[in-house]
Parts: sequence; structure tokens; C-alpha cells
Amino acid sequence: MHMRKLLLTLTAFLLFAGSLLAQKTVTGKVTDDKGNPIPNASVLVKGTTTGTSTKADGTFSLTVPSNAKALIVSAIDMTTQERAIGSQTSLDFSLTQEDKTISEVVVVGYGTQRKKEVTGSIASVKGAAIANKPVQSFEQALGGRAAGVQITIPNGVLNAPPVFRIRGTNSLSLTSYPLIVIDGVPAYTGDFSGTSAAGNALASLNPNDIESVDIAKDAAASAIYGSRAANGVVFVTTKKGKAGRSRVTLDSWVGFTKTFGLPDLLDAFQYTDHKNEALVNAGTFNATTNAFALTNGPDGQPINTRWYDYVYRTGIQHSNTVSVSGANDATSYYFSAGYTDQQGIIRKNDFKRISVLMNIDHKAGKAISVGGKLQYSNEQNLAAVSSGSLGDAFATAGLGRVPLVTAPNISPYNNDGTYNYSGALIGVMGNKQGQVGFNNPVIQLDQNRNNSEINHVLANAYVQIKPVKWATLKSTFGLDYVFVDNEVYFSPISGEGFASNGSASSWFNKNKRWVWTNTVQFDKTFAEKHNFSLLGGIEQQKSDFVGYGLNRIGVTDPSFTDIQGGWQTPNTAGLGIGENYLYSEFGRLNYNYSGKYFLSGNLRRDGASQLGLNNKYGTFWGVSAGWEITKEKFWTGGLDKIFSSFKIRSSYGRVGNIGGLGNFQSLSTFNSGLYGGNGTVVFSNAGNNNLGWETSTKFDLGFNFGFLKDRITAEITYFKNDIDGLLLLVPQPPSAGLPSNIPDNVGTMYNKGVEFSLNATPVQKKDFSWNTSFNLTYTKNQVTSLAPGITNLTASTGGLETPSITIPGYAAGMLFVTRTQGVDPATGRRIFLDKNGRQVFFQHVAPSGQFRFAYADGTLAPTVSAADAVVYKNTNPKYVGGFDNTIRVKDFELNALFTYQLGFHIYFGTNAGLRDQRFWNNSTDILRKWKKPGDVTDIPKVIFGDNISNGSAFPLDVNVFKGDFIKLRTLSLGYNIPRNILEKARISTARFYISGNNLAIITKYPGPDPEVSSNGNGTINQGIDRNTVGNARTITVGLNIGF
Amino acid sequence: MKMKKHYLYIFLAAGLLSATGCQKSNLAPVPSTSISDLSAFSTASRIEGQVRGIYASIKNSGMFGGRYQIFNDIRGGDFMNDRTNVVTGYDIWSYTPSNSSTNSVQNHWRRAYFVINLANVFIDGMAAGGTAVVGDALSKNYVGEARLLRAMSYYSLLQFYARPYWDGNGSKPGVPLRLTGNTGSADYALARATVAEVYTQILADLTFAEQNLPLTYANATLNTTRAHRNTAIALKTRVYLSMQQYGNVITEANKIVSATAPFTASTGVAHALQADITNVFKTPYTTTESILSMPFASNEPPGTQNQLGYYYCPSAFNGGNGEYSLLSTGIISNAGWLATDRRKAMIITSGGKTYLSKFPTGGNFTDWAPVIRYAEVLLNLAEARVRSTNTVDAQAVALLNAIRGRSDASTVFTVGSFANAAALADAIMTERRIELMGEGFAGADLTRLGLPLPAKPGVNSIAPTGQQYIWPISSDELLLNPLCTDN
Repeated sequence: MHMRKLLLTLTAFLLFAGSLLAQKTVTGKVTDDKGNPIPNASVLVKGTTTGTSTKADGTFSLTVPSNAKALIVSAIDMTTQERAIGSQTSLDFSLTQEDKTISEVVVVGYGTQRKKEVTGSIASVKGAAIANKPVQSFEQALGGRAAGVQITIPNGVLNAPPVFRIRGTNSLSLTSYPLIVIDGVPAYTGDFSGTSAAGNALASLNPNDIESVDIAKDAAASAIYGSRAANGVVFVTTKKGKAGRSRVTLDSWVGFTKTFGLPDLLDAFQYTDHKNEALVNAGTFNATTNAFALTNGPDGQPINTRWYDYVYRTGIQHSNTVSVSGANDATSYYFSAGYTDQQGIIRKNDFKRISVLMNIDHKAGKAISVGGKLQYSNEQNLAAVSSGSLGDAFATAGLGRVPLVTAPNISPYNNDGTYNYSGALIGVMGNKQGQVGFNNPVIQLDQNRNNSEINHVLANAYVQIKPVKWATLKSTFGLDYVFVDNEVYFSPISGEGFASNGSASSWFNKNKRWVWTNTVQFDKTFAEKHNFSLLGGIEQQKSDFVGYGLNRIGVTDPSFTDIQGGWQTPNTAGLGIGENYLYSEFGRLNYNYSGKYFLSGNLRRDGASQLGLNNKYGTFWGVSAGWEITKEKFWTGGLDKIFSSFKIRSSYGRVGNIGGLGNFQSLSTFNSGLYGGNGTVVFSNAGNNNLGWETSTKFDLGFNFGFLKDRITAEITYFKNDIDGLLLLVPQPPSAGLPSNIPDNVGTMYNKGVEFSLNATPVQKKDFSWNTSFNLTYTKNQVTSLAPGITNLTASTGGLETPSITIPGYAAGMLFVTRTQGVDPATGRRIFLDKNGRQVFFQHVAPSGQFRFAYADGTLAPTVSAADAVVYKNTNPKYVGGFDNTIRVKDFELNALFTYQLGFHIYFGTNAGLRDQRFWNNSTDILRKWKKPGDVTDIPKVIFGDNISNGSAFPLDVNVFKGDFIKLRTLSLGYNIPRNILEKARISTARFYISGNNLAIITKYPGPDPEVSSNGNGTINQGIDRNTVGNARTITVGLNIGF
Repeated sequence: MKMKKHYLYIFLAAGLLSATGCQKSNLAPVPSTSISDLSAFSTASRIEGQVRGIYASIKNSGMFGGRYQIFNDIRGGDFMNDRTNVVTGYDIWSYTPSNSSTNSVQNHWRRAYFVINLANVFIDGMAAGGTAVVGDALSKNYVGEARLLRAMSYYSLLQFYARPYWDGNGSKPGVPLRLTGNTGSADYALARATVAEVYTQILADLTFAEQNLPLTYANATLNTTRAHRNTAIALKTRVYLSMQQYGNVITEANKIVSATAPFTASTGVAHALQADITNVFKTPYTTTESILSMPFASNEPPGTQNQLGYYYCPSAFNGGNGEYSLLSTGIISNAGWLATDRRKAMIITSGGKTYLSKFPTGGNFTDWAPVIRYAEVLLNLAEARVRSTNTVDAQAVALLNAIRGRSDASTVFTVGSFANAAALADAIMTERRIELMGEGFAGADLTRLGLPLPAKPGVNSIAPTGQQYIWPISSDELLLNPLCTDN
């Protein structure tokens, strides 16, 4: 379409040019205000399509008809300039840097608004800030970039959705993840992989295709998305063509990634001695039947295996994106294609994405515009087996845990080179034990597959009609299709597939969403000062899900590794069906008086299928006001000398949340199954016909101000979010026998805090500049009530332990642990504090006449357990933020981004495993163990089988640590190749860089990385580090070229 | 002209807007894979589906599909834990479960009450309208089944979470007793009833079942997988035995055990011992010896880490995980248990250890899980006769011989074989350990008699007065039910 238009234009131009004898050539040079040439600037004869663009040295030559009156010159980020031609044949243009604060727009939902006029709280992140990073999805790179935004990369598994919070944890049972709107279409979010590989839906988008990310945080900015706005709304806008000659860009980077901070473990010799000592202490050591022993390897030396070496690797990653874009008066276009292939730190964990994006906008006439976009991606999310990091903390095969647990005195291979295994488990070799590890990770990594392939289409088309200048009608149809092929194979040799003699599963998940939006907008200014903008609209959104598949077990020949091969037993896999629908009517009125006083109101009424029969509809709203004080007369008396700008804004409103609510959760239903081959009907879901929205009442008060001609700008915002009608899946006593927790709108919670951000350019010279920005968000989260009769909500990790509790008067997801009071120096026993605060001494095997649990006086004490746990520490960071610095010296550019989270605690559950006294290997700190009376240490006497003293059986306070950290998130050094060199190569821009991610971290946390979440985006079980694969450190080198 | 164009646009826009109106039916979608509570009692097939659903739920591998039996067996002294895995009962085996032990203390509690509530919801629903759909006779059959399954669930709870009946004659705390269906939000705080109160309810349920269940079903499969009158009677012998009410055991057992060998049930399903015990545990698993079993099939598998065969068999044998081998000092060392005993055919040796292979099928481990077997009824009766008469009871010896003789014809007991009643009782208890191994009796057999839990490698013996003699109460229950107290 574009090419045809271009050809037509060209032909018309030639005809036109040929028909006129009277014409002349105008030459000239376009520079910036410092005299630097501006290449690629557009030079147009006013009122025509005749034009050209400047060369790399800023010069141009254009043949113009003799009746041409003026030339218009424009360039990206520069002000447009018009000069009369008259009789001149040489015209130079000096363009000034565009004052971005005037022209800058932000996306506000169903439209854009000039940043100066925005009265809601919106943070904007430019695409350049998140492009070319070693990430899979753009939001992984948002950390530290905007006030109020918390991003936590939960683990080192590729393409796991990050924890994404805007102004704290805003829900307990539902999601706290913001609504993501990509080019106007509310997109699917979350992990769409059904296998042990993660598959974040947002990874479909190549971060390099993003123009901007605008984050609406308060009610005013988000209320236009009503029922889904409580967690904030993130507007993602992809790139469009810009005026001027077509541009071609090439962005490539390549790098490597490694683990860091792995715990130091006992080696084979230490392990063997240590475990035998524990057996002796337990009174069960027997050199021939119950003992640990070294085994010699093929080299005749004792086997001493470092299991990390078999599980982790140095991963190679690369990414390449090519784009072509441009625009003329009628049509703008942006095409891009990208390919990235990233290896993770875990062997066999790969991410590959092919992505294409086409954005086209076309003015079909004076009144009609049409356009659309098509984005397609194919993602391969690959893994061999579970990482134990995606909510499955205790997976037997979990690669986060296996290298920690497995005995170092055995090898993955027998001395003859064959795999070492015994049934499903790894073989014990010389150890006189039933078991010294779980699965053999090498067999799993070599043989098994846990892959998920995602085909993802995000598209939309629109027609826009402007019957009169002040009215715009727009109809947009968008769709988001996520098709997921899950494929799992477990080898029959050993491990997960052993018991079933091999297992292959394939299942397909089809997620289809369409969104049809119709809006009408009126923009009119009355009496030159009263500016009105009125928006009205109707939107429907329908989402459908279908899942089906097959599981086959009992392989008939070990060479069959696909579902299509020979197998004995077929079973179903991944069956599911569901739908939901949202119908909405909305409106917005913006008013400003002379650019000085601003008022805005948003209203939205939503009807959602997921809600109870009696409560389908909800109405949401937000109002805001702003005052540009610098435009007042009284301000010019002196305050204007201090402040170059000053704006006060405030907003109030009510928005909702239903994210994460099941399609049919409000219904009471019976499911079907089988008993003895006949059908069953089983009460399976307890519903609630009155189930409604979770509502958030948000208040915001902010000050935006600037000094020194806005070379320093700052923003301070106070916010408070009162959430009521929390949609809790209210737990009932298990003895009530209900099949599910009943969803109900009960409970209240608030988040309040202050955001501060500062942007400054301390130095701005021709060859040296320094830009710095700092942001800090303080958030206080507190649950104020739960359901009547429900005093607390506990939450488990991996279904096996319960270290989290949510209880009124505290923040959501407090740690819930049993207290200890060190180790008794006289006996080496662990000292617990029971629920009454009384000391209880524990020894795993009690000599006769003594008790396992005893009071200090030796009398029998009741068993200490999780029932003695206390509400302990907060897991919500009090302070999060970032500190970004860019220093340019001539053609070099150094960027350093620090991110931080402060004032929170983490339950380092992995540590309990690292000190478990079963066959599990231990960290070297176990060598501090108590040995003889008088020893003062934090590690109790080791007794084989003891899983209680150090926290495996139930969570203990000794494994809770401060999580505070400051990270050097990225450090990059770039070099822009000078123009004079580029000109010869006909290249307009070229930049080389080297960049490091996670290079340094300042923290006292003893685990691999305090930026962690074993339970992903879980709201009431956050701050847990249980057997999770830590984050990666990545170094990349890259190249950006523009033609 | 210009105005007309505007009208055209406005007309088009109005058309567009009306087309985008709310699609009301989309706002209240009807799920296509489940049945609304409003119509769950509307047809006879849905009602029978609900009855089967209660069975399917008590068959849940956390209960009588495997774990109830396993937990009872590994509390005894005959098995060795080889995996130290809490998920597969290491804490139960070593008598150290905590309130928060997910896979035992928490899950069994939750599942048992889930079954109880299903039964209650069903009983309420039948009264409210279901009876009118299927008729009074069938309704009574179904309610009888529901009450029997409720009784089984309460019985299983008492065995783990409450002091045995002998301790204070049932006056100790039992479990919360819930008899009405729960379907929505309410205040569910409820204190524990006494042990005696819960047993009274169990017996009331079983008596109702006995009076209302059909005598037999159409085929052997249903006779094994659905409760009939003799199922209720057989279960009552177990319940009275746990209460040490031996006279009642005898009364109940006599209803389905003939006075003399060969012992058979003369009414209802004709229960009898099979000539070869191993046939009881083979496909089709539906001999008249199996009074109640939980059926499994490849499309109805027990689920991972729950299967009897996975726990008790080594990998080399059937792909199991060898979670528990036979403790060399346990019943396997009993000299009277001869190598030629047919029951030794269900013991295998692998890697220097012995294992129970009563449930040998690998893959999905689809061997049916036995719940009540006629052999148990005979042993219950034998024991009750000895303990109630406190003599070397001749019929008790005959019953013992029926069990032993069927598998080991070379060993024949006579009244003279036993010095006194205690010796005969011991022999019967030994026979139970051999005959019923792996079927979920060892733990409850110790606690109902007030015997200490035996010492095992690395594990001390637990006295009948010890805190660890019974399980703690689920910490979830304690947190959410303020009236419930811990053990």
C-alpha cells in the first residue's frame, strides 16, 4: 500500500515537474542551534508534496517551482521552521531543540493528552530506556525507571513474568498485576506456558518496537479503565513511522549470562564425615549397613562432584532487530522483524522469539483515517525439567534444589560411563543408604523436555472520521490471540518418567480475545480560553479459552520420545474451557482554562460475566484538578525566579479489580468424574451470587516543579489507596468440608505513601553532559480487616510449608515463623520458643529417660510446631526506586542504573534445606555445628534425620533475613561513531556499546539474590526464597545502526 | 451538500453504536463442563452420580484410595522408611507429624471433612427434593450409602486425631461433629465433640445403612465398590472392636458369619474366604471376600505419591519407589510364618531388602485399594470372642484356623495350642499383622488396645500416654475454627 502511494506520488511529481518550465534549485544547510548538521531533516515546499531530506552533512538541494512560496523544514525532536523563498537560491535553517515539555504527549486511554495538561499521576518511560536489554519482555526492564513502580525479577528462569506492582500490593486474593494496554488493546498477561518453562505473554512484544510506556497510577489517570484499574494501567505504544526520509535501523547484541551467589556446599569428604557424625549422634551408625562412604571414580580418586557444574552453564544470548519506517503527509508506516535466541543459566532453558510488527496509518481523505497494526510472534520456551522456581518450590526434580541436596560423593555417571541411577532415583554408589539424592539431574537434563511454543498475534484496525474539525468518531477492533503448544516428555530411564515407564504429553491452549471500541470525541475552545474535550465510548471485550491434549505413558520402545510414538496408555491432558465478557460504557471530560486551571472527570460503567448474578455491573469514576501556578500574576513577583514551573494537582476516584477471578467462580457447581468407570457428580465449587468488584478509592496530591529553566524538575506525590470489598476467597475451617474457598467481598486494606522523583541535567556542554534522575517510593501497606470470623489468611509455598500470614493490623503477606532462641551450649539442643514464649529444648533422638521436646528442667514439653508460629516480619519493601545517570563525553556515553528495594524481609527457606540433617548435602556453615559442651554456636548438634532444628519441617525465624539491596542493574558504555566517519559509509547513526546487567549488588542477604519470589506474583506469599534459581548476571555487546 | 455528509456520518456512527450494544447472554455464561447446584438433584442420573461422587471422594488417594491404609500401616512396627520423605509419610512413620504436616495431618483432615460435607449436602438435598425424583425406596438406599461413607470418614478421623475410646471411655475430645450440608458463607466455628459422641453418630449412621441398604447389587463389581447391607455390618464389627465393645462385635459379626466353618455370610452378598488369598488382590478384584474396595483403572488412577504399589514395591519390581521396605525385626521375622505360607507369595526380596508385593501392578499402580475384607470380619469376631469370654474360645480358634489354614494348611491350631486367653489373643493379633498387612490396620490395632507404638531404627517407642500417640490437629483448623482445640 505504501509503495503504491509512493510510486503515485513520484509519478505525479515527475509529471508535474516536467510540465513546468519555470523552476529553480534551492540549496542550503540545516543545523541545530549549536551549528551541528542535522541529517535526515525533511525539506518540503509549502503546500505541496515536493520535498527532499538532508544529507549526512545537513545540506540539501531541491528543485522548486517558480511559484513556490516557502520551504518547511522539520526534523525529529526539533522545532519545525518555515522560511520564505522569495528570490533566494540558498537558504540555511537553524532548528532549535523542541521544548519537549510543551509537545510531549502521554497516552491516557482512548487518546493522548499533552503532558502539561495532565492532572492524573502518570509516569512515562521512553522506549529507548528498555530497548536492547538482555530481557525477554519489556516490563522486566522497567525496574527503577519510574516512581511508584516495583519490578522484581523473581528467579533466573527465562521468561518468568516479573513481580509488577504499582504503589504496593493492592489485592490479596486477586492479582496485583497492572492492566497492560498495548496500542489500545487490553492484553493477556501472565505465564501462559503449561510446562516447566516459563512463558510470559508480554514477551510477544519485542522491547525494541516500543515507543513509550506510560504508567497511569492514580484514579484520575486510570478510571477510564474502571473495573480493571485498581492496580494501575500500563499503556504500551509501539513505534510508528515519523516524517522524513524512510529510516532503516539495525539493532544487535550478543552476550553471555552466568549465575552468582550460589551457596558454598560441603565437598565429598566433608559431606561423608559430617553425615557419619550425624548418624553416630543418632545412635544408628553402622559401618556396613547404615553409613556414608566415598566411592572411587574412574580415575581411582574419590568422587567429588560439584553438582552446580551439571545444572548451570554460561548461556549465550543474542538479539537482532531490523526496522524500516517512514511517513509522508498521508501515510506513516513502521515495519520491524526481530529474532532473539537466549540461553538461560540453567542447562536446556532457552528462549527464542521471532517477531514481526507492522504499524500503518493512512489518511484516506480529509475526514477519514484508517490504520492498523499486526504483531505476530513465535516464542519457543524451552526447559528440560522443573526449575522449582515457578511456584513449585518442592518439586522433586527442581533444578534449584537438586544440586543443593544431592550427595557430592556420588557421580551422575557410573565408572563405566553409564548413567548412575536406581529406579527413579540417583544411585547411592558406595553409601550404605537407601537414598542420597533425588533424581539424577544429568539424566533429566539430557533426556527430558518441558517445552512450550507460543504463537501470539496482537492486531487491530481502526477507522476514524472527523466530520467537523471538533468531532472525532473512532471505531477500533482489536484482537489478542495466544496459542500455546505444550509438550512434555519424561524418559523411562529414571526420574519422573520411571514409574510410568516413560510419559509424553502434548496439549494445546487456545486463548482468543477480541475488543471492539467505539468512541466519539469533541474538542472545542470557547471564548479562546475555555478548552473542552469530551469523550464518550462503548467497549466490548470477549475472551475465550479452550484447552485439550493427550498424555501417554508406557513407552513400547525407548526410542519413542514423542506423543506420536508407540505408547500403551492414553489419558487426557490439559482439558479446559472457559469464557468471559466485559461490556463497558465510559466517558471523559477535560477542561482547562487558559492552560492555567485544569479539570478532568472520568466515568466508566462495566458489566463483567465473572461476577455474581445479582452484581454484574459496577460504576467507577475519577476526578482531578490541576493548577499551573506559574501562570498566575502573583507568582511573577519573585517565586518565578526560583521556580521555572510549578503545578499542583490532585485527584480522587473509585476504581475496581477483578483480575484473576475465575470465569465461573461466582457459581455453585458440581463437576463430573468417574467412580468404578461410571460417571460422578461432585460438589466442586461454592459460589456467591452477590459477588462484586473489589473497589479501590484513591486519593492523590502532587506537586510538579522545575528550577533553572526546568533543567531540574521534580515531582512529589502523596497517594492513598483504600481498598474495600476485597474479593477474598474466604477460607473456612477445613472441617466445614467446603470444596473451595467462597469468594466474597469482605475485608479492607490500604496503601499509602509518597513518591519523589528528580530529573536534572547538572552539566550540558557540547562535549560533556550529565543527566541524572532519581526516584523513590515509600509505601505503607496495611490490611485493616478480613472476613467476619476470619482472623487471618495463611499462604503456602509450593504447597508444603506455610511461612506467610495476612492478618489485620499488619501488611499483606507477613512472615509467619516459629521462634528460636539459639542453641543450648551445654547440650547442643535447638531452643524453641513455644506459643507461650516458654523455652523448649529439642533433640531429634532423645536418649532414654529424656524427651525430644523438653522444658529447661527436663520435663516433657508439648511438641513445638507451626502452631507456635508468630507474625514476624514484613515482606513488602518500604522503599523502592532507581537512580539513573548518563554521562556523555564527546562520542562516549556511560550509563549506570541502580535500583533498590529497602525495608523488607525475606524468608530464606532454602537455608532450611541447606541445614537439613537427612541425607541432604549442607552448606559449609554447618561446620560451625555444636560439638561439645560449652560450644557457643548457632548450629545445633547434628543428628541424622533431624529436619526440625533448622527449619525444614516448619518455618523458623533463623531463616528470616533482611532483604534490603541496592543493585547496579545496568552499566553500559556506548560509543557513537562520529558523523564524519559515518558519512563515508552512508550511515546516519552508529553506536557500539558494552553493557552489564546485575553486575553488583549491595546487600546483607545471605542467599544468592534478595530480588526473588518463589511464589511469583503471589500477593500474600511474597518475600519467600525457597529452592529458587537465583538471578543471572549478563554481559552484552551491541550495535545500533541507522540508515 | 456539506450538511448532508455530516448527517451521513452521524447516521453511520449511530448504526455502529447500536451494533456495539451489550450482548446480555455473554454476561451470564453457562459453564459447559459442570452442573449448576440448582439442577444437581433434578434427574435420577445426577442423583446417582452424586452418590458415586461421594465414593469417588472417599476413594481420593489421600483417604481410602491409599493413604489411610498407608498411614495406619507405617505407624506400626512392620515397615522401614527408606526415603526420609515427609511427603510420603516419614513424619508419620517416625511419630513426629506436626500440625502443619501438609500431606498427612492437614490433608487427611480436610479430605475426610470434604467427604462428610458431600454426604451431608446429599442427605439435605434428597430431603429437599431428590427423594421425589427417585422415589422413597431408592432414596433410602442412597442416603444409607451416604451415611455409611460419612461414618467411615468420622471413623478414620478418630483413629488419627483422637485419643482411643478406652481412654476415659470416650470422654476425651473427638472431632467436630457436622451433620448438615455446608454450601456457602457462614460461621463455621465448632468445638470438638467427645470421642463417644462421634462413635455414637458413626453407629447411628451404620445402623441406618444396615436397615436401608440393598442386600445385593446386580453384579460383583457393584457388590465390591458400593455399600450393601453386609458392608454396614462388617464396618460395625470394626467400629465396636475399636470401642472394645466385644459383645456387640460378636452380635454384628454373627449376622454375616456362619456359626461353623466354612465361614460364610448367609444373607446378602455371600461373602466367603477365597481358596487362594492372592486371587483377592488380582484383577478383577471382585471376589466375595472383598466387601468394599476402591476401584482404580488407567483412566481412574490413584495419582502420584499416593499409590499403595508405589510405596511398598521397589523400582526393580514394578517401578515403585520403595518408600517402605519390611522392617527385618517386624512381623516378617515371625518364625511361625512359614516360607510355604501362601501369603509369602506376596513378599519379595530386592536389593537385600524385603518388600510387600500385595499391590504389584506398576505404571499407574491401578491395583484396587482394599477397605473391608471378609478375613478382617472373621478376625474381628475371633478376637472379640477371646476378649469377651477371656477363655481360649473354640470358635475363635476355628476362625483363626480358617485364616491361617487357607494360606498354610500345614499349621493347624487347636484349643490346646494356647496356654491361656492372652496367648490366643496374641496369636490372633499376629495373624492380623500377617493377613492384613498393607491394608491399614497396624496403627489402629495398637492404639485401640492401648499398646505402645513400637521403637524403630532411629525412632523411640511412644507410650500410650505420650503426646505423639495420636496426631496433632490440623493447624488450618486451629487457625480458622476458634472453638477447636489441639491435642
